[in-house]
Amino acid sequence: MKLPRKKLTASVPTFAMGDIGFLLLIFFVILARAQDDSHIQWQPARLNNIEMAPAPLASVVIDTGSKIYLDGKEISAEELALKLSAVLGDAPAGRRHVFLKVDREAKAAVFEPVIAAVSEAGGDLIHILEPEDKPTQ
Amino acid sequence: MKLKRGKMLVDPPDCATADIAFTLIIFFLVCAAVQPETGMSQALPKTEEKSEKRAQSQNPEVSITPSGIVLNGNPLQLPEFTRRIAIELKSKTREADRIVVVKSAPDTSYPTWIGVSRAIESAGGILTLELESERTIEIK
Repeated sequence: MKLPRKKLTASVPTFAMGDIGFLLLIFFVILARAQDDSHIQWQPARLNNIEMAPAPLASVVIDTGSKIYLDGKEISAEELALKLSAVLGDAPAGRRHVFLKVDREAKAAVFEPVIAAVSEAGGDLIHILEPEDKPTQ
Repeated sequence: MKLKRGKMLVDPPDCATADIAFTLIIFFLVCAAVQPETGMSQALPKTEEKSEKRAQSQNPEVSITPSGIVLNGNPLQLPEFTRRIAIELKSKTREADRIVVVKSAPDTSYPTWIGVSRAIESAGGILTLELESERTIEIK
């Protein structure tokens, strides 16, 4: 007499699916932040009645040492217009947002050529500022 | 006689505590990093090389120095400048007439510049920068 062999069922454990999904979500959120300039030291200038800024295609920073950065990488003012044009590509006008983060101690000799370069690249300039009523940290 | 039943201690499972803590750290790091930014948008005409021969312009000219602002030759402070530029641009309807030429001293600070630029834009002006270009001439 033959005894029937018990069939083993192989099931994928679904216990940790929630955790895995959550970690993947965070991973892609971090990847989406292509222009990471959080390591650059700068202090924003203050102004009243400022608005929320839309998502940028590029970010230009002038740090406390008057160095210029495009999307976190150091660059000279002369190169900026060309590199910025490449970053902005064929994006339509009105969606070519460029964040300009200028340290409050920066002088016109440094930031004006940068503004001119953004203008030359056809970027929609957005000065990143801090609301005047925000307490000092 | 009644015997008291011993209470059973129930420990919550702690095998996943490290995973939970790690996930929470990443979550709060990401939350801190993606704070929305605030700012002021600015429309600038596309930069062009300007020829030396300049047509007689009726556009207001603003010079910014660390000590003050000069509008068409009159030195002013920011509140007065804001009032005067609004009056100056009020009567101008054509876009070309609303262009305001701004020239800054090299040591002008960014907050001063932003204040002037906000005043011009609030008055309906179109800000244009006049930059000094440097040229090196070799004399043999």
